[in-house]
Amino acid sequence: MKLSALQQSYMNRRNSFRGSAPLDSSSDSSIKSPSAIFWLVLHGLCCLISLVLGYRFSRLVFFFLFSTSATNLYTSPFRSATDLSQTLNFRPNPVVNPELPFNRTAATTTTTAAATTSSSRVVVGRHGIRIRPWPHPNPDEVMKAHRIIERVQMEQRLQFGVKNPKTVIAVTPTYVRTFQTLHLTGVMHSLMLVPYDLVWIVVEAGGVTNETSSVLAKSGLRIIHVGFDKRMPNSWEGRHRLETKMRLHALRIVKEEKMDGIVMFADDSNMHSSELFDEIQNVKWVGAVSVGILAHSSETDESSVSVIEKKEDGENPSMPVQGPACNASNQLVGWHTFNSIPYAGKSATYIGDRAIVLPRKLEWAGFVLNSRLFWKDAEEKPELVKDLDSLDGVDEDIESPLSLLKDISVVEPLGSCGRQVLLWWLRVEARADSKFPSGWIVDPPLEITVPSKRTPWPDAPPELPSNEKVVVGVQEHTVKHSPKTRTPRSKRSSRSKRKHDTKIVDTQLPVRHSEQN
Amino acid sequence: MNGWRWGFLLLVYAALVLKTGAVEHGRTQPTERISGSAGDVLEDNPVGRLKVFVYELPSKYNKKILQKDPRCLNHMFAAEIYMHRFLLSSPVRTLNPEEADWFYTPVYTTCDLTPNGLPLPFKSPRMMRSAIQLISSNWPYWNRTEGADHFFVVPHDFGACFHYQEEKAIERGILPLLQRATLVQTFGQRNHVCLNEGSITIPPYAPPQKMQTHLIPEKTPRSIFVYFRGLFYDVGNDPEGGYYARGARAAVWENFKDNPLFDISTEHPTTYYEDMQRAVFCLCPLGWAPWSPRLVEAVIFGCIPVIIADDIVLPFADAIPWEEIGVFLDEKDVPNLDTILTSIPLDVILRKQRLLANPSMKQAMLFPQPAQPGDAFHQVLNGLARKLPHEKSIYLKPGEKILNWTAGPVGDLKPW
Amino acid sequence: MGSLERSKKKVQLWKKAVVHFSLCFVMGFFTGFAPTGKTSMFNNHVASSNRSESSPQPIEMLHQATNINRSLIAEAPVTIPQRHKDLEHTSPPEELRVEEEKQPKLTPRRFVIIVTPTSTKDERQGVLLRRLANTIRLVPPPLLWIVVEAQRDSKEVSEILRKTGIMYRHLVFKENFTDPEAEMDHQRNIALKHIEQHRLSGIVHFAGLSNVYDIDFFDQLRDIDVFGTWPIALLSANRNKVMIEGPVCDSSQVIGWHLKKMNNESDTRPPIHISSFGFNSSILWDPERWGRPSAGQKYSQNSMRFVKQVVLEDDTKLKGIPPDDCSKIMLWNLYFPSETSPIN
Repeated sequence: MKLSALQQSYMNRRNSFRGSAPLDSSSDSSIKSPSAIFWLVLHGLCCLISLVLGYRFSRLVFFFLFSTSATNLYTSPFRSATDLSQTLNFRPNPVVNPELPFNRTAATTTTTAAATTSSSRVVVGRHGIRIRPWPHPNPDEVMKAHRIIERVQMEQRLQFGVKNPKTVIAVTPTYVRTFQTLHLTGVMHSLMLVPYDLVWIVVEAGGVTNETSSVLAKSGLRIIHVGFDKRMPNSWEGRHRLETKMRLHALRIVKEEKMDGIVMFADDSNMHSSELFDEIQNVKWVGAVSVGILAHSSETDESSVSVIEKKEDGENPSMPVQGPACNASNQLVGWHTFNSIPYAGKSATYIGDRAIVLPRKLEWAGFVLNSRLFWKDAEEKPELVKDLDSLDGVDEDIESPLSLLKDISVVEPLGSCGRQVLLWWLRVEARADSKFPSGWIVDPPLEITVPSKRTPWPDAPPELPSNEKVVVGVQEHTVKHSPKTRTPRSKRSSRSKRKHDTKIVDTQLPVRHSEQN
Repeated sequence: MNGWRWGFLLLVYAALVLKTGAVEHGRTQPTERISGSAGDVLEDNPVGRLKVFVYELPSKYNKKILQKDPRCLNHMFAAEIYMHRFLLSSPVRTLNPEEADWFYTPVYTTCDLTPNGLPLPFKSPRMMRSAIQLISSNWPYWNRTEGADHFFVVPHDFGACFHYQEEKAIERGILPLLQRATLVQTFGQRNHVCLNEGSITIPPYAPPQKMQTHLIPEKTPRSIFVYFRGLFYDVGNDPEGGYYARGARAAVWENFKDNPLFDISTEHPTTYYEDMQRAVFCLCPLGWAPWSPRLVEAVIFGCIPVIIADDIVLPFADAIPWEEIGVFLDEKDVPNLDTILTSIPLDVILRKQRLLANPSMKQAMLFPQPAQPGDAFHQVLNGLARKLPHEKSIYLKPGEKILNWTAGPVGDLKPW
Repeated sequence: MGSLERSKKKVQLWKKAVVHFSLCFVMGFFTGFAPTGKTSMFNNHVASSNRSESSPQPIEMLHQATNINRSLIAEAPVTIPQRHKDLEHTSPPEELRVEEEKQPKLTPRRFVIIVTPTSTKDERQGVLLRRLANTIRLVPPPLLWIVVEAQRDSKEVSEILRKTGIMYRHLVFKENFTDPEAEMDHQRNIALKHIEQHRLSGIVHFAGLSNVYDIDFFDQLRDIDVFGTWPIALLSANRNKVMIEGPVCDSSQVIGWHLKKMNNESDTRPPIHISSFGFNSSILWDPERWGRPSAGQKYSQNSMRFVKQVVLEDDTKLKGIPPDDCSKIMLWNLYFPSETSPIN
C-alpha cells in the first residue's frame, strides 16, 4: 500500500517536471567559463547526492514495508497454524488446541523491539502440538529410508572396509542327512553376507543330489557343486577321514582351475561371525584362526555335563577354544587344543551316539590358505610337503592343513593372534538312521491330532504350574502320541532301536522345545 | 557535452550498483568460504593473536563454590569452570593487565545445584554484580570501557538473563551491568533479549572422556534411521503441553512413535552413545532452550543432526558450517519430518557424513582436559581474537557513565 | 542581457539541475531495489530446499529479504501461501521423481517384526544370536528385530547386534527369574508391550535363537493379513526321528492341527510351538479393527496370553503357509538341552 502510494506521488512529481525537460537542451554553450565548470562539478555532485538519496529512500520504503511485516510477524505463526489446521485437520484433542492461544506477554514485545532490523517469529507461550491426520508411516518412505541406510552402510564398507579384497573360496564337504539342511542353510546364509567375491566349492559325499542342490540353489552364489563317489561312513572317525579327502579334492579343483583367492574351510557344522570374512583378508599364505568348540552332549546324564564344565584356559571359561596360541609379543608359540583326555572312552564313536562329539586335534575350519599356495608357478610361496596331485589321501595322515606344509613357522595367527573367536564348531547330528521328509516337503499330509475350530490354547488361568506336574502330564500323553508325530518316513526308521532308553528323553522333548526359544 | 555528462552519471550509477553488489557478496561470503573443506577457521591458532588478563577474585566467587558441590564439574554448564582452568594455564594469558586485549572475570554463577543436580540461577545476578563491583573498584580497567573489553562465561539456560523460565528470563533481560561486555554462552536464539549481538555461542559441556570410552569403530553399520532419546512432554513443568519445546517434541512423539524408522523413546539406554553412532539422523529438537547436548553428541558421533529449533544460533556458527553438516527443520514442519528426511538426496547425506567425520569439527565441540589444539576453548579464543582490535568508541571519556548500577530487580541489588 | 534574461537563464539552469537530480534520484531509488530482489530470489530458493534461517550469522540483508518475502505472503493470504505450501510440499517429491528415475523402483513390502528373547543362561547365546542375525540380515527390508535380554553388565549382545547392520531394538528388563520359561514369556511380553506402546504395524513372529530359516519363509510371512501358521520341524541331537508340528491345511485353509493331544486339562502349556505362528501387530493396539473387544486391563500384564488366545479363535482369518497345503517345512528348531548345560 505504502509503496504504491509513494510511487504514485513520485510519478506525479516526475510528471510535473516533464514539461520543463526539453528546455535544458538549449543551455549547452556555457561550458567554457570556469564558473560553468564549477557549476558542472557541483551539478554532478548534486546528482550523486540525489542518487544516494534515492537509494536511501528506496531502502526506507523497504524499511517501511518491512516494519509492517514485523507487525504481521506476530500473526504469521498464528496464521500458518490456522492454515495448517485447515489443511492438516487438527485432531480434536483436549490437549491440542487448534485455536493456538498466543498469549503474548509484554516481555515479548521487548524482544521484537530490539529486533528492528530483523525479527523473530518465535513467540513465548503455548504452541499447538501439530499432529498430522494421515497414516504413518508411508510405505514408500519406509523403503526410501531403507535405501538410504543401505547406501550409508555401503559407503561405510567402502571407506572403512578391506581395500582390494581377494576372492573368498569356501570349501564345504557335505552329505545328505537329517541335519544337513539346517546346517548347510546356516553356513549358506553366512556366505551370502560376505561382501566380497566368493566361490563356494561344495563336495558332496555319495554324489550330487537334488536335495543338496535345491538348498544351494537359493543362495544365488557362485557354486561349484561336485560329487565324491564314496558314502559317508557312520563312525565319526570315518567321517573325519572322508571329509579330509573331500577337502583335498576341492583343493585340487582350486589348483586345476587356478583360482585366485583365499581358501577357507566352511564346514556345514560351523557358525561364522561376519567379521571372520574381513579378518581372513589379511592372510598372506597360511592363516590360523581360533575356533570356539561347542562341545555338546544331548546326554542329560549329569556326569558328562560336569566334565565339560571344568573347561580350561582362556578368556571365555565356558567355551573351549582351539587355535593359535601366542606369547605377549603376538608371536605364534603353539596351539590351543581341545583337551580330550577327560573324555577318554566317553566320546562318541558313531554318528548319533549319545556322547560328546570331540573335535580333531586341530580342525580344518581353523585354517585359511592363499590359493596360490597350490599353484605351480607362484612366487615366494612356502613349500608344500607334497604336491596335491600325489596325495590321494587314502593312507596319508593329513590331519589338518599343517600336515601339508614343510615348515609350519609360516603360519600367521589371525584375529588378534587368536584371541578373537570368530568361528564356532558344533557337530550335532541326528542318528545315522534318522529319516526326514524328502526335500522337507510333508507328503502325505500330517495326521490331525487336534481338530480345528478348537483353540489349542486352553482357557485355563495363566499361572504356571509346577514343573514336575507338567512333565508327568506330558510324559503320559506324549508316549501315546509320539508315534503319530512322526512322519511316515520316520515311522519306518524307528525299527532300528538302539539300547538307549529313549522314552523319557523323548517325552520331555516336545515340552521343552515347544517352549524353547 | 550532454552525452559526456550522461556518461559520467551512468558510470557513477554502475559503480554504485556494483558496490552494493559487492557488499551483498561480501556478506554471504562467510558461509561460502567454509563450505568446501569445513573447518579451515577451526584450525586457527589463537596464540599470539590476543592476550587475556584473568582477574584474581576471592575464592568465594569460584573455587569455594565448586568445593561445595563438585557435581558442577560434570553437568552441561561446566564450561565456566573449565574455561577458567584453561585460561589460567593458557599461553594467551597475560599477567600484565596493561597489555591485555581482553579481561576475564572467573565467576561460577551456575554452580548452585538442587539436590537432583539442576542448576539454580537465583543467586547468580547478585554474585555477578558483586564480582563486577569488586573488579571495578580494585582495577581501573572496567571503568575504562565499562566492560566492553571484558568477557564473561555465562553458560546457563538463558545466558546472562539468569532464569530458567524463558518468560522470566526475557522479563529480566541481560544483567544491566553486562550490557557492554562480551558474553560467552550456550544459549543462542536469534533476536532474543538474552542474546546480545556479539556474544559467542559455545556448545554445552559434554564429558569428553566418557564419550571417548563409548566410541565404536567407524565401520559399525549405521542401522537406525532416526534416533532420539529424551523427553517429549515435560509433564512436571508443563502439564498442559505446548510450552515445552514449543510443542515440537510432543509433535515428534505423536507423529512418529508408530514409525519403526524412528527409534525414539524417553528412556536413556546404557548404549545411548553407541546407538547414536549407528544412526543416520539424530534429532536435536529444542527443549526449554533451543540447544541441547545432542548437538555436541551428534557431531562427535557422526550422526547427522536434525535441528528443530526456529531461529537457533548454533555454537561457533562462524566457524562450523552447520547448514552443511546438519538438517534444519522448521518447528511447524515436524509432522512432515519423515517425508523431508527420506527425500534428501543420497549424495547430500553422504556429504554431510563426510563433513561430520572431519576431526576438527568434533574437536571444536569439546572441552577436553587437558586442552587440545582446536578444541572449544581455542574456538572461544578465536572468536575473541576475531573481535580485535577494539573500536576506539568503546573507551569512555573521562567522567562518562553509561551503565546504570541500580537497574534491575530489587532482589538482585542485595549484596552477595 | 538584462537581469530578466539572466534570471531566466538561472531558472533554466535550475530546472535542468532539478531534472537531473530527480533522474538521479529515480536511478538511486531503483538501485535500492535491484540487489535485494536478487537476494530475495536466492533466499526463496534456499527456503524451498531447507530453511531460510539456516545462515549461521544473522545477515541483515538476507534477513530483510526473507521478511519481505514473508510480508508479501501476509498481504496476499489467499494465493501466495498456497504457492508457498506447494513449494514446500510438492517440490521434494518432484526431486524424488528425478531420483527415482535414476534408481530402481522401490516396491513397498509389508513390515516384519521379529521378536527374539535371549536367555543369558545359555552359553551358546552369542553364537546362536550371530547365526540368527546372519539369516535376518538377508531378509529384505523393512524389518525390525526386537531382541529382549535381561539387564546385565556384559555388553556381548549389544556388540553382536551392533555389528549386524540390522534395524533392531534391544530391550532390557530388570526382573529376575528362576524359571527360564517364565523368563522367556516375560521377554516376549516386553517385546509385545513395546509394539503396543509404539503402535508398530507389521507381522510379528517369535524367532527363537535355535531356529533356522529358509529365507523364503519371510516372503510367506509377509503374505499374512491377520494370523498365519505353518509347520515347524523340531530336531534334536542324536535322535532317530524328526518331529513336525503345526497346522494341517487344505490349500491355505487350516483344517486341523498336528500337535500333542490335549487330553490332560491340567496342562496349560500351549501345544502350538511359539515360533509356529505370526500375527498382525495391530491386534495388540487396535483389537477392535479385527472385531475383538479391546484387550483392556485383563491382558495388560500378559500380552502373550492375549495373542495366543486371539490367534486361533478365529479360524477363518487364520492362514496356513505356505499356501500349498502347508506342506513345505521352512523353519527348523534345533533343540539343545539348555537347562542342563553348564552354567558357570
